[in-house]
Amino acid sequence: MMLYFALSPLAVVGGGALLLMMVEALSRRSNGLAMGTTMVFAAGLALSAGVWLYGVEDIPGLEALAPWIVIDRFTLFFDGLLCLAGMLASLLAGGYLPEHKMNRGEFYSLLLFATFGGMMLAASTDALTLFLGLETLSIGAYAMTAFRRTSARSAEGALKYFLLGSFAAAILLYGFALLYGATGHTDLAGIGGAIKSGTKYPVMTVMALVLIIVGLAFKVSAVPFHMWTPDAYEGAPTPATTFMAVAVKAGAFAMMLRVLLTCFGDAKFMSWSSGWPPALATIAVMTMTVANLIAGRQESVKRMLAYSSIAHAGYILVGVVGTMRSGSQASASVLFYLLTYTVSTAGAFGALILCGRRGAESVSYEDLAGIGRRHPAAALPFALFLISLAGIPPTAGFFGKWFIFRSAMDGGLYWLTIIAFINSVIGAYYYLRVLVYMYMREPAAGAPIAVPMKSGYVNAALLISAILVIVLGLTPGSSLDVAVKAAGVFGG
Amino acid sequence: MIPVEFYVALSFVLFLIGGVGFLARRNVIVTLMSIEIMLNAVNLALVAFNRGMTDNHTGQIFAFFLIAAEAAEVAVGLAIVLSLFRLRRSVRTDEADLLRN
Repeated sequence: MMLYFALSPLAVVGGGALLLMMVEALSRRSNGLAMGTTMVFAAGLALSAGVWLYGVEDIPGLEALAPWIVIDRFTLFFDGLLCLAGMLASLLAGGYLPEHKMNRGEFYSLLLFATFGGMMLAASTDALTLFLGLETLSIGAYAMTAFRRTSARSAEGALKYFLLGSFAAAILLYGFALLYGATGHTDLAGIGGAIKSGTKYPVMTVMALVLIIVGLAFKVSAVPFHMWTPDAYEGAPTPATTFMAVAVKAGAFAMMLRVLLTCFGDAKFMSWSSGWPPALATIAVMTMTVANLIAGRQESVKRMLAYSSIAHAGYILVGVVGTMRSGSQASASVLFYLLTYTVSTAGAFGALILCGRRGAESVSYEDLAGIGRRHPAAALPFALFLISLAGIPPTAGFFGKWFIFRSAMDGGLYWLTIIAFINSVIGAYYYLRVLVYMYMREPAAGAPIAVPMKSGYVNAALLISAILVIVLGLTPGSSLDVAVKAAGVFGG
Repeated sequence: MIPVEFYVALSFVLFLIGGVGFLARRNVIVTLMSIEIMLNAVNLALVAFNRGMTDNHTGQIFAFFLIAAEAAEVAVGLAIVLSLFRLRRSVRTDEADLLRN
């Protein structure tokens, strides 16, 4: 019985998705679907918190799930995080889709199914379940990207996302197939054990590691495997972009931590001389630098935020590299960063949605000119989220970066920390540029003046994100404790 | 009996053909086929490796799951290709150039 309690966050999101699909098919109106979806996510979030507080270690019978999935604090953290991300995306969709005449109910089912896939991904401890979770997450995200059926940009973004996403999945799977050949296991713990005790096929193991890192880098959209990201993010309807930027990225990083630390977590593969950290550090440096330099040149705020999400993947990768020496302190900083990044990014996209209306969606810097004085209620939250993304105190983003940098310093990765720090200074430029346009520029003569849309859903999403950004920025301690406990499952 | 190494070598060649095809060809349908070839290379590798292992059948079961999940993925992919074709009258990836820096 307690086993079902432990599985309840997954069950409520999966069951909710099926239920909403039926409701959508039977009812003619789809106005309440956003609210229903939000409620399902809220229930998932509450149940994750409930299982967490009850103490997942005390629940008997969880070993029945082995080796396929595991319900531990790491899983529960990501269950909660993904439900929060899904909730914010569904609230934004509740305002955005009717405003832009796309209010079809399938979006909410796709959102729930994709989130379920992400939760599955965080829970899985076998290559098979990992793959199923990844596909469930990705297929939902592809379909949501292509949701604006009349727009060639939407279809084009979805096509690029789909092609590179499937390519990455194939590479990742070939890596796991080689690992299966080298170790005889598909469960991550078994692979890890076999690698630790030395396999007969070291060359195949290293090839598998390379393929898996490439596949994972595609999924977290790290440079040089990021080409799909700006196009998919720009083409997709903004709530789908939000979901991709926060939930898909969180799921991908959960997978990365689980795979690297369980399969390749032995002393040899975690070392600087013979393991994955130097490869990942190189990817991190490229990701931060390239993304920040290109982001500064964008004319579209939506595309700038896409590059900003790539840059943030770079900072998170610094934390992943830090696990080499700082162990669970570094993985905890990754989890905390994902939390701060989720609320700031979802808020920023939400504010961008709020600044536009039917037929006049705000996408470029020019669109936002002068909005600060005319519509402070839309500009103020936008400013808050951008400050948080830039990492300026006292917001959530500051402590996210602080903990990542500190754990990297503790691991002796000074040069990496310095590069990351320089990059976050460069990053501040393009975030603050939005503020300059909003507060210090007037729209060009004759140009249309942006009028914010009115939607309780979007306002609610912004309110939730804003509260979390401020609370995490003022009192990061308790959430950091949660992240530390969640990262504790990897030991060290 | 054909040794396992031969199958693994074949799967590696298939994976490379698929990878090169994906990167070199510009027709979306051919690109999709290249991805399928890569995934079949994965299937072949899994099943071939499984033959050397007497204590489990995970590789073969994995291959079945892969086939099913890939069918679902391709269904969504083809829908996206169709929707792009309806709007642009083209299935070439180099003509999908609305979104760029």
